[in-house]
Amino acid sequence: MTAAPASSSSAHLSSPDGKTAMTHTPLRIGLIGAGGISNSHLPHLLTLGADVYVYSEAGAPELVARYGGTVVDTIDELLAAVDFVDVATPTFTHHSLVKRALEAGKHVISEKPLARTDAEVDELAALADELGLMLFPAHVVRFFPEYVLLKEAVDSGRLGDLAVLRFSRSGAFPTRTPWFADRALSGGIIMDQMIHDIDIARWVAGPVVRVSAVTSQAGDATTPVEAAHVLLTHSSGAISHIAGIWGPSHLPFTTEYSVTGTEGSLAHSSAAERNYIAHLASVDGPSGLLPEVDPAENPYFAELREFTDAFAGGAVPRVSAAEGAEAVRLANAALLSLETGQPVDIDLPSAQASAADLDGK
Amino acid sequence: MHTSDRPLKIAVMSFAHTHARGYIELLRNMPSVSLLTSDPGEHPATELRGRAFAEQLGVEYVDSYDELMAWQPDAVIVTSENARHRADVERAAKAGAHILCEKPLATSHEDGVAMLEAADAAGVILMVAFPVRFASTFARLKAEYDAGQLGQIFSVRGSNNGKLPSERAWFTDPELSGGGALVDHVVHIADLLEALMGTAPVSVTAVTNQKLHAERARAETAGLVTISYDNGVIAAIDCSWSQPDTAATWGGVSVTVAGTAGTVAVDFFGPRARGLDTATGLPIEAPYGPNFDEALLSRFIDAVRTGTQPQPDGGVGLRTLDIVLAAQESARTGRTVAVADIARALVE
Repeated sequence: MTAAPASSSSAHLSSPDGKTAMTHTPLRIGLIGAGGISNSHLPHLLTLGADVYVYSEAGAPELVARYGGTVVDTIDELLAAVDFVDVATPTFTHHSLVKRALEAGKHVISEKPLARTDAEVDELAALADELGLMLFPAHVVRFFPEYVLLKEAVDSGRLGDLAVLRFSRSGAFPTRTPWFADRALSGGIIMDQMIHDIDIARWVAGPVVRVSAVTSQAGDATTPVEAAHVLLTHSSGAISHIAGIWGPSHLPFTTEYSVTGTEGSLAHSSAAERNYIAHLASVDGPSGLLPEVDPAENPYFAELREFTDAFAGGAVPRVSAAEGAEAVRLANAALLSLETGQPVDIDLPSAQASAADLDGK
Repeated sequence: MHTSDRPLKIAVMSFAHTHARGYIELLRNMPSVSLLTSDPGEHPATELRGRAFAEQLGVEYVDSYDELMAWQPDAVIVTSENARHRADVERAAKAGAHILCEKPLATSHEDGVAMLEAADAAGVILMVAFPVRFASTFARLKAEYDAGQLGQIFSVRGSNNGKLPSERAWFTDPELSGGGALVDHVVHIADLLEALMGTAPVSVTAVTNQKLHAERARAETAGLVTISYDNGVIAAIDCSWSQPDTAATWGGVSVTVAGTAGTVAVDFFGPRARGLDTATGLPIEAPYGPNFDEALLSRFIDAVRTGTQPQPDGGVGLRTLDIVLAAQESARTGRTVAVADIARALVE
């Protein structure tokens, strides 16, 4: 996970199998959406040497003025100008935009969740397969070093047979735009925020056979809060708890995990593991919306580098469309559990049908 | 009733629970307390029990509960196996002694109800040993919550992790313990939540497994529980015996409470000095902080002297037990269980 953000695109994007067509031509990437997360995509795409064209219903000129790139006025214009598309829009728009990009023959990066419903993610994964196009869901937590270490510790057998896993993710309620608060559009905290840890739990502890969830909401329309607890039973017998908080606006963004197996345990707390602690009168507190990251090892950069490397013929990334689809299915099972008030059994044959794809690479 | 011109007579029933040692070590140093202990019955040969245990601690001992009750104690501390709490509490109540019962209150709802009725009928105090309630950090959390500084609480996350108890074999015998990690560790945090919010649990979901300490365990060693409360709050508790035998400390208890005005995280046994052992590289951990048992005993003794029922009482003991029973039922069936059904099942 050493990252050299200044590295040239040609060095990184040259492919080992001789497909050098793009090696000396910048990747042409279309970024759709200019909201919060685009601030964590555009600068890194530019650093990777890509020519980036930005389309958004709103905010594209401001975003481009901040980082660079080229504003385009229509999606058609964007699709005509690029080879790859990065969809960084609200969840409920992912399906139609990703589908449109795939149908135009583009390889696609999609922000998580891959789409809102099971039918939508199934359709997108199948479509990408059918067209022979790459489709990468941006589960960026897989690129955070502390989670990479967890995955490596588990895969190496150092922790033995996993027994009990806890994950927590806590921050401010995203009120800057209204669609997060609409559960029909966003899927709420489980589909938007906790899907990160749902994906990580499945990545490290394997397929999930049962899901249950409880949730609470409080506050008011201007200062809402939301929380949920999700329990997962893995096919191995391991059990996972995932906690999510969208709290008041002053709440810093923090994550935790604690994983125990028969041979050892590994735990991490972002609040505890800090290498720079300042108490300066002149400085604002940390953001409640995004984790603090080390710029020398920026996970968003590492993620986009891995995806764009793959676009250029490089290695298969650590997260597949099938896995993004499975994370959405598990999040939707948790939402179903909220409705029924009972745990939801996951159809194991389907979960294992694509075991190879779901093997986390 | 007790008058303060003579020492308070406190009897300890059984050395089965490892906490008996801690209570005795505190009580034997109190000049206003006269202590008598008894630990009758057959004991595992490998465990220091009975008269030998009392002698090691330097406290008075009698061979039978008949002799213990004939001493006419003002108060009794019940530290027997969980499944024997009912018989011992009923016996103490019948003798007119006030009672401090080790947690969990019992291993069945029926036993718990009978214990409350026995104390009620005898007019004696029944207190349940939830010492974490007496942490100054909990008092601070409670004060900040009561002052509105957390706003409206909407979510809680707690963990009570420890080693698989090894000093006493009965902890892993479900016949005597009532189960595994669920019955051992869910009640502390359930008690804290009731003390904090005063709300009733509605439904419980639990998942468990027996992967850790598989060679010794006869019940679940890992458990995760979610609870929905009638005020809309959701809570999750990790009750696993996930601390390995080789760990530097027994484990700990922590809660993180999220409210509309902010969050508070409490690590009740967290503060410690840390180092490394030169020869092995293993961590040295030296936890410090007040002994919550001391405050618990002090509250109980005050209550005995004044004759007023303290908290945590048998009622919260029973309600937290019901959460455990619902969690066990959920783990068994794979269903979410209504806590009311635990009590209702008894009536039907």
